[in-house]
Amino acid sequence: MKKGCGVLALALTVVLSPFVSWGQDDLMNFFGEEEKPTVVTSAFKAGRIINVQSPETCGEGEMNFIIAHRFGRLSDGWYDLFGLDNAQMRMGLDYGITDRIQVGVARSTFGKTLEGNLKWRFLEQMNGGGSPVSLTGYSVAMRDGLRLPEDGIERKGVHRMSYVHQLVITRKWSPEFSLAVIPSLVHRNLVDRPDRPNDVSTLGVGFRYKLNRRMSVNGEYHYLLPRPIEDGLHNSLSLGLDIETGGHVFQLHVTNSRGMFERAFLAETPGRWQDGDLYFGFNINRVFQVRETR
Amino acid sequence: MRNFTLLLTLCMWASAGHAQRFVTRDAQISFLSETPLEDIQAESLAASAIFDMATGELAFQAPILSFHFPKALMEEHFNENYMESEQFPKASFRGVVAGLVPDKEGEQMVTVTGTLDMHGVAKERAIEGTMTRDGEWWIVASQFEVACEDHDIDIPKVVSENIAEIIGVTLRAELKLK
Repeated sequence: MKKGCGVLALALTVVLSPFVSWGQDDLMNFFGEEEKPTVVTSAFKAGRIINVQSPETCGEGEMNFIIAHRFGRLSDGWYDLFGLDNAQMRMGLDYGITDRIQVGVARSTFGKTLEGNLKWRFLEQMNGGGSPVSLTGYSVAMRDGLRLPEDGIERKGVHRMSYVHQLVITRKWSPEFSLAVIPSLVHRNLVDRPDRPNDVSTLGVGFRYKLNRRMSVNGEYHYLLPRPIEDGLHNSLSLGLDIETGGHVFQLHVTNSRGMFERAFLAETPGRWQDGDLYFGFNINRVFQVRETR
Repeated sequence: MRNFTLLLTLCMWASAGHAQRFVTRDAQISFLSETPLEDIQAESLAASAIFDMATGELAFQAPILSFHFPKALMEEHFNENYMESEQFPKASFRGVVAGLVPDKEGEQMVTVTGTLDMHGVAKERAIEGTMTRDGEWWIVASQFEVACEDHDIDIPKVVSENIAEIIGVTLRAELKLK
């Protein structure tokens, strides 16, 4: 009889226990309901993967000062200290109007070029429903500032202008790895040789792989889509390292493109890696909060 | 023996069935890191909380991404470098309230003993606070400290003068009868 009691009690507990434990789990289930999709942030560390735009923009009220150098050819050897004697420079200032819209101005020593640009991340990648990629539009107007040659050809101010429009399609696959596909359209109002087209298109890819919380390996490649003629220009390939230290992001890289604005590196890269036309360079990004908004 | 087991089982069944639950989805949690160089403050208005009056269980959960800072870069660093919010998207606390008189109106001091789970590290904590009954509401408020080290949150030397080792957390939630 006593044994029967125990069996009955056990049976009852087993039968009823699902209800009891259902009641307890329910407490945590409350948190599971109404899970909202979240925005995937920080696919890249800085506003540029190396040369090309990443989807990152300044936050609202944030200003980013970028100072970038590309030194001379590594293959110039000891005489030019592997290129360090000759530097091209670009100074840029970006400002976040909202968390997703950014405007910028910059000046490069390369062609004494002045640029104005606009960047808009108009679609965010979402976690838990929503877009699988982020889409960012970037447009830049560049003005060549070199003195006009006295060759009898009449040039107007408009002939100094060139434009690039691009779409940055990005997916952050994991906290470490992000990939970008970047089609670009380059338009030049005036080209330097009659056999060069005014419009050139490129298709680029870029990636970021995080080594740890402060460092990542980055790379980008831009393929020049077929043009009517062979014009001695090459695809741009860059590899680099991002190092983050609090308010700065340092980007160190090796590239075959020496110009740091879009027209130059996308459409006007004369050298190739295999010929030793490699340039060491860096970007330093420094962020200032000029307007506190939140 | 049989009667006792039956009674016990029925009691548990009954309490689960008639649980009086108080909930919120917009609890307010803020924290402050104070150093001589810089004070860093952030706030979330999107934490959830649930209190089961029958069992005395109280639980909180806050999405890390819902914490907002005055500067965008701070927020990025918080998510990317310190909390690793993609890997550990939520912080939670689940505990049992001691010292509460359920039907008493007005403020009462309580101690909640349970587990604080943050950045993938769970710590047993006894956290003090107040609970105030106001009709079908429970208002929960607390101030407590979290040591970054306890939850494996690394603060590199370069920024150790800007970020405090011990973070002060302030919490306020108004839970309504479900």
